[in-house]
Amino acid sequence: MRKLGAGNPINRFVRRIGGARRWPCIWAIAPSILTYGIWCPADPTLFQYYVLIRHCCCFRRWAIKAFRYCAVSAGRAWNRNVHRRLPADEGQVIVAGVKQMSTKLIKAILLIEDNVGDVRLLREMFKDHGAHDTEMVHVDCMSAAEKHLVSHSVDIILLDPGLPDAQGLGAIRRAHAAAPRLPLVVLTSLDDESIAEQALQEGAQDYLIKGQIEVRGLLRALRYATERKRLERLKDEFVSTVSHELRTPLTSISGSLGLLMGNAAGSLPKPMARLLAIAHTNSQRLVRLVNDILDIEKMQAGRVVFNFSRVGVRPLVVQAIEANRGFAEGYRVRVRLEGARAAADVRADPDRLLQVVTNLLSNAIKFSPADSEVVVAIEKGADMVRLTVRDHGSGIPIDFRPLIFEKFAQADAGDARQKGGTGLGLSIVKQIVDRLRGEVGFTDAPGGGTIFHVQLPCWDHVASLALDRDAKSDAARLLLCEDDLDTALTLREQLRQVGFATDFAYSAGDAVTRAVAAQYHAILVDIHLPDGDGVSLIVRLRALPQYHDTPIIVVSGDPNSGRDDLRSSKLNVLDWLNKPVDFDRLVQLLAKSVAQQASRRPRILHVDEDNAVARALSEIADVVTVNSIEEARLALKTGDFDLAVLDVALAKGASPDLLPELRDSKGNVIPVVVFSANGANLASDAQVQAVLAKSHTSIDSLVATVRDRLASRRTNLFKEVV
Amino acid sequence: MTDIRILLVDDEPDIREVVDVSLGLDPEFKMRACASGADALVTAAEWSPSIILLDVMMPLMDGPTTLANLRKNPRTAHIPVVFLTARTQTDEIEQYISLGAQGVLSKPFNPMTLAASVRDYLPASAARHAP
Repeated sequence: MRKLGAGNPINRFVRRIGGARRWPCIWAIAPSILTYGIWCPADPTLFQYYVLIRHCCCFRRWAIKAFRYCAVSAGRAWNRNVHRRLPADEGQVIVAGVKQMSTKLIKAILLIEDNVGDVRLLREMFKDHGAHDTEMVHVDCMSAAEKHLVSHSVDIILLDPGLPDAQGLGAIRRAHAAAPRLPLVVLTSLDDESIAEQALQEGAQDYLIKGQIEVRGLLRALRYATERKRLERLKDEFVSTVSHELRTPLTSISGSLGLLMGNAAGSLPKPMARLLAIAHTNSQRLVRLVNDILDIEKMQAGRVVFNFSRVGVRPLVVQAIEANRGFAEGYRVRVRLEGARAAADVRADPDRLLQVVTNLLSNAIKFSPADSEVVVAIEKGADMVRLTVRDHGSGIPIDFRPLIFEKFAQADAGDARQKGGTGLGLSIVKQIVDRLRGEVGFTDAPGGGTIFHVQLPCWDHVASLALDRDAKSDAARLLLCEDDLDTALTLREQLRQVGFATDFAYSAGDAVTRAVAAQYHAILVDIHLPDGDGVSLIVRLRALPQYHDTPIIVVSGDPNSGRDDLRSSKLNVLDWLNKPVDFDRLVQLLAKSVAQQASRRPRILHVDEDNAVARALSEIADVVTVNSIEEARLALKTGDFDLAVLDVALAKGASPDLLPELRDSKGNVIPVVVFSANGANLASDAQVQAVLAKSHTSIDSLVATVRDRLASRRTNLFKEVV
Repeated sequence: MTDIRILLVDDEPDIREVVDVSLGLDPEFKMRACASGADALVTAAEWSPSIILLDVMMPLMDGPTTLANLRKNPRTAHIPVVFLTARTQTDEIEQYISLGAQGVLSKPFNPMTLAASVRDYLPASAARHAP
């Protein structure tokens, strides 16, 4: 791009037609052609391109190409009808109009910035520059941004990654995760090239330095970021569609060949069988290639869901060796497993880990000389489990080493054909291992060949992270049932800052074990867990007496699945939060519920003479037992009650008269459970929550009913408060 | 011994033929094929297949819509449906299952084992004749 001086023929021409120079973009297409974009003054949505052609008009062809290039890169159909020619000494100018690709498309900017001065500056810059139809919404922390993104339409995010609740790459990651489809521009005072590079890898479209950019540059950067994001999305969709479209003809080809090879159409003469075998093998290879491309594309876009669980490395390696046995025999290579039989468990997605082992194994086999051995070994370290695969091949050429984990990298271009690989295997391995929080690498093996190693976090190590040891000892303890360690660690960090200790459970089974071992103030449940859904976990937790009325909050990545079921159920779920979690709301919920819980045990007013009932009720609440209406009235003055248990047949005075008086100090109705020989006539009263006949009801089931009522009252109260 | 009736719905004639031959390897299978979702609705109601193999991407009426329509008709609502599709990413499979499909078979498939895979999805009443 080059700036043109005021005296250049385009500017003279623009002045003559009464245009104003507002947004020039200049592309040098060829040395003698300059494409020059400008707003059309008559129609602000029209973006015009002027092509200056020097020397002679035989460059017209080029000019048209230049227009098309500009129009296509702006994502617009270009309009040839508005061509104009301008004879000029230096050459000629051709004009084409393209509908605007600019700030018109950017209607809403979300500015995430905690420096008020910078916010004001940006607003002024935008205002002064006439970007009136662009609305800028400002939030000062990441959780507010995540909240805003859930419910508002935003065209682009402008982020300063130094926020009170998220810093640096973590902030960029969170912003990207909250709105993966939106363009993201980082605006920071930190001028560091390596961070800028990482920012782009984490999903940002641009990295701008405060003070180095003026408003026109900023607006242009926003437009270009939008455009880059759009192209990126197009590319992703394209790759995905093409891969799927390729599979359709491949299905017919490999299916037909498979049937022929399986002698489904009768046995084949030998020469024909040989040729068909070649076609069949190669169609299989094409299928693998398409699968790999799709895999890697998805992995890079972060669209692969990893289901983490405890995985025994040894059985998984045995499975991979078994699956590759036929393949190894084809190359006359033996595969041997070494290492102690002791369990080496890691935290991983078993399917993805199998893919890693399979890729490493098939690579080792392919590059081994015939009649040699591939040795797989498993070693358990303190924090990591190390898996190595050793071959006796010719080793990896020096100049190829830095490229080995790149896509479509193969040391020898002929290899792909010879070995039947796709050049994507190791790249996929690297992507997966990164997501598993592990490490992959290779070294020369002594005596020739190569050793590839993969290190993965030991299950014991990850399990030891489950207990929050760094929190203050008096902090209220929460249980977070979440299988994604990164999410869990982030949430723990945030919760620690507001005074909570957070233990993790990586699975539903884990959660129940932990809940029994310790008493938690509240439980957060991810609705998708590796060994079952969150709803059935809540059912199991509610069955434990000590968790009968503990606040449970559901956290879900999928806003639709199961929400209504849970609402209509009697599981007393305090709230349902969608990911990304609205942290303020979560803290508010937790603070209220923990405060209420800590404040006191529930109080029950027991109007009856039965001491056995009083004793049983005192297990779950503070019970005040009275024998008469008068005593009950006195008791009501001593403090608030959460529930009243009445025997209506109480001799002195009819206790139904008491019902209207059963109110707490704020005038709220105290719910009533009637436990009596005869109370059926009260069942229709709204205040009466349950009527139990003494003759048919055991004390245990009375206690269960009371507990249930207390729990639902508590949940309702929380909901009102919050 | 009753036949196991399989209805294949796929807009690609070549795939219909390959599936026909593949399933023909199982002598108990009787197969019919439809080229569109609309045809499938009529054939399914008339013929009452034991199972329906349904493509996802079809013009006019795609697989999920066809499935929804099959479920609306009391004559076809009970018939198990298995998607036979090239779109088999994890989220897509979850989506098919949530729509009420019994399962998903991915394209390209192994033609020599397709019949066995289909058998796995047959309701117990139809599969009891399995060898």
